[in-house]
Amino acid sequence: MKGIKKQGNNITFSVIVIILALIPLFYSMGVISSTSTIMFLGKCIAFSIAAIGLDLIWGYTGILSLGHGLYFALGGYAMAMYLKLQATGGKITEFMHTGGLTELPMVWRPFTSLPASLIMMILVPAAVAGIIGYFIFKNRVKGVYFSIISQALTWAAYSVFIALSPYTNGNVGISEIKSVFGSIKGDANLGNLYLLFYIALAIMVVIYALSYILVQTKFGKLLVAIRDGENRTYFSGYCVSRYKNVIYIISAVFAAVAGALFVNFNGSITPSQMTISYSITMVIWVAVGGRGTLVGAVIGAFFINLCEYNLSSGELVNIWQYIIGAIFTVTILFFKGGIVGVVRDNIPSLLSKRKGVSR
Amino acid sequence: MKKLNKLMALAVAAASAISLASCGSSNAENGSDSSTVTVGLLHSMTGSMAISEQAVLDAEKLAIDEINAAGGVNGKTIEYIEEDGASEPSTFATKAEKLINQDKVATVFGCWTSASRKAVKSIFEDYGSLLWYPVQYEGMEQSPNIVYTGAAPNQQIVPAVEYLIDQGYKKFFLMGSDYVFPRTANMIIKAQVEATGLEVVGEEYAAMDQTDFASIISKIEASGCDVILNTLNGTGNVSFFKQMAEKNYTSEDYMTMSFSIAEEEVKTIGADILKGHMVSWNYYQTTDTPENEAFVAAYKAAYGEDRVTSDPAEAAYDAVYLWKAAVEKAGSFETEDVLAAIKEGDVSFTAPEGTVTIDGENQHLVKPVRIGVIGEDGLITAVVETDPVEPDPYLTTYDWAVAANIQPLE
Repeated sequence: MKGIKKQGNNITFSVIVIILALIPLFYSMGVISSTSTIMFLGKCIAFSIAAIGLDLIWGYTGILSLGHGLYFALGGYAMAMYLKLQATGGKITEFMHTGGLTELPMVWRPFTSLPASLIMMILVPAAVAGIIGYFIFKNRVKGVYFSIISQALTWAAYSVFIALSPYTNGNVGISEIKSVFGSIKGDANLGNLYLLFYIALAIMVVIYALSYILVQTKFGKLLVAIRDGENRTYFSGYCVSRYKNVIYIISAVFAAVAGALFVNFNGSITPSQMTISYSITMVIWVAVGGRGTLVGAVIGAFFINLCEYNLSSGELVNIWQYIIGAIFTVTILFFKGGIVGVVRDNIPSLLSKRKGVSR
Repeated sequence: MKKLNKLMALAVAAASAISLASCGSSNAENGSDSSTVTVGLLHSMTGSMAISEQAVLDAEKLAIDEINAAGGVNGKTIEYIEEDGASEPSTFATKAEKLINQDKVATVFGCWTSASRKAVKSIFEDYGSLLWYPVQYEGMEQSPNIVYTGAAPNQQIVPAVEYLIDQGYKKFFLMGSDYVFPRTANMIIKAQVEATGLEVVGEEYAAMDQTDFASIISKIEASGCDVILNTLNGTGNVSFFKQMAEKNYTSEDYMTMSFSIAEEEVKTIGADILKGHMVSWNYYQTTDTPENEAFVAAYKAAYGEDRVTSDPAEAAYDAVYLWKAAVEKAGSFETEDVLAAIKEGDVSFTAPEGTVTIDGENQHLVKPVRIGVIGEDGLITAVVETDPVEPDPYLTTYDWAVAANIQPLE
C-alpha cells in the first residue's frame, strides 16, 4: 500500500506508456479506427514532453514562463528546415525564390545534414535560453515580471520570423515536409508511422526518467527550495540565479525536442506555434494536469488536447473553447493540484475507508 | 471543504466523461450509409479568422441544404462534418487528417488563409483527397488535389492595375499586411506597373494587428502618389481608413484600390468612410444576374436580413455546386473519378457571378472580373465587368511577368 502511494505517479506514468505502446494492437483490433488518431496521439506525446519541461520550471522551481512556445518553435523550425531541405534535395525553397534569394542562405546551411540539424535543434534554444536566462535571473527578475518578459520575448521572436519571410516563409511557415522516416500517411506507410511513434514514446520515457532523477537529486530539492523560499536559499549560500538558469535551459531544450517531434507528426510548422496564446495553452496543460508532479504534466497535455480534438467538431464546435476555459478556471479556483492533486487527495481516503468497512 | 472537494472532483469527472463520450458518439455516426454522402467543412470557427470564415461556412451550408432539398447528389443526401481549424494552421492539418483518414469524407470544403491552405495541401496530396478552396489568393500554386474557386492574381489584381493605368493613374503606392498574399501581390503589381513605364513610389507593410497607421500615412503624403493599392487584411483596414478619414482624406484626395475589402468589411468600416473607393473582385452583392437574386434572397432568408453576401461566400457556394456537377459527370464520389471529370475541362455552374467553369489543367475557375466602386449605401457596384477570364496562376501568359521572372522554381 505504501509503495503504491509512494510510487503512484510513476505507476500511473507506466500505465500511460503501456497503453500508448499497445496502440498498434488497438489499431489492428479496430478499437482505433484510423491512423490519423495515432498521428494525433503522437502529437500529444510531443506536447507532453513540452509540458514536462514547463513543469520543471513552473511546478518545481516556481518560475512561470508564458513564452515556451518560442523554444517549442525553435526546435520545430530546426527540424522542419532539415526536412524541407530533404524534400528539395538541398536546393533553395520556393519561398526563398519568391523572396529574391538565389542561393541557400547561411542560416540554412547546417540543416542539410541530420546530425548538424539535431545539434542546432538543441543548441539554438539552449543558447537563447542561456543568454536570456543569464541576464534575467542575474538581475533577480522574478514572479510576474519574468512572465511578462517571457511573453515579450516570444512576441519579438514571432515578429522577427514574420518579417524575415525570405528565410522563414513568414506566417505560412515551413510546410509540405515529410517525417524523418518518410511519409507517415495512410496504411501503406504504417511502418514509418509506428517507427516514429515508438521513437517519440521512447523519447518521452527518457525525458520523464531524466526529469524524475533530476527532481530526486539535490539539484531538484534546491529547485523546490527556490520555489518555496528564494531568499532563504540565497542566504543558505546557494547561487539561486545559476540554478534557475540551468533549469530554464533544460526546460527550453525539452520544449525544443517536443517541437521537433511535433513537426514530424504534423508535417508543417508556423510561427503561430510561438505565439503567446500557444505558450499559455502549454501552461494550461500543466495546470490542469497538476503542476509539481511530472505525471501531471503528461496527463494534462493528453487530457486537454484530447478534449480539444474531440470537442472542436460536430455540435459543440462553437462552444468548445468555453468548455476548455471552464475546465481551466475550475481547476485554478478549486483544485490547485490539478487532476493529479484531486486523485491524490481523494483516492487514498476512499481506499482506506473501504478497507475500514471490510474490516 | 473536503466534501466540496469531492463534489467538485465528481463534477469535473462527469464533465470530462460527457465531453469525451459525446465525441465518441459523434464519431460513431460518421459511417455513411448508402443513402448519404459525407463531406467535411473545415474552417476557423474560433480565433481571429472566425469572423471572416463564418460567412464562407454559412454559404457552404446554404448550398448543401439547397442541393439536398432538390434531391441531393447522384441520389444521395449530403451530410457534413464541421471541424474547427481555430485560426491555427497546425490545427487545420490535424483536422484535415481526421476528416480524410478517420471520417472518410468524400471531399472537403475549407480554409481561408494561405497559411492554412499550405498546411493542409500536402495532406490532401498524400491521401489523394480533394480540397475546395474558396478564397482569392496570391497564385503561384497548382495542386492536383485542390480546386481553387476564388480568383487567381490575373483575375483580380492584374485587371485592377490595368484599369488604374487606363484611368491615367501614374504614381502607385503599395501597402499591405505583412504576409504572403500582400508580398506576392505587390511583387506582381510592381512588375506590371514598371513594365508600363510608370512608377511605384512606395511600398509599406503593416503588422497583421497593427492599429497605428500614422507613419504609413505620412509616407503616403510624402510620396506624392495618386493611388494606393491596398492589400491590408482584417482589422488593419478599419484602423487605416478611420485614420485617413480623421485627416479628412476622401477618395478624391487619395484613391485606393483594395483587394481584401468586400461587403462584410465595408459594413464594419463604414460606408461613409469608404464611399468612392475602388475594389476588385469577381462578384458583388449587387451583381445583376437572376442566379444572384436567388442567392442573396436565400442567404438573407437563412441567416438574417442584415447579412450581406460577398465574393468569398459566393465562391464557397459555387464550390459546393461545382463539386456536385463534377460528381454527377463522373457518376462517382471517388476522388480519382471526380478529378478525371474535372480534367476534361467542362465542369461548370451557372453561378451568381455568371457561368464559372473549372479549368481542367490548373483547377482554377474561369470567371469574370469586376472592378467596383463602394457606394454610400455600403454596397459595391461594378464599373467594369469583363467576360470570363482564363485563370493563369503563374502568370505565364503575361510578357511582363515572364520578363520580371515571376516564376516558381522548377
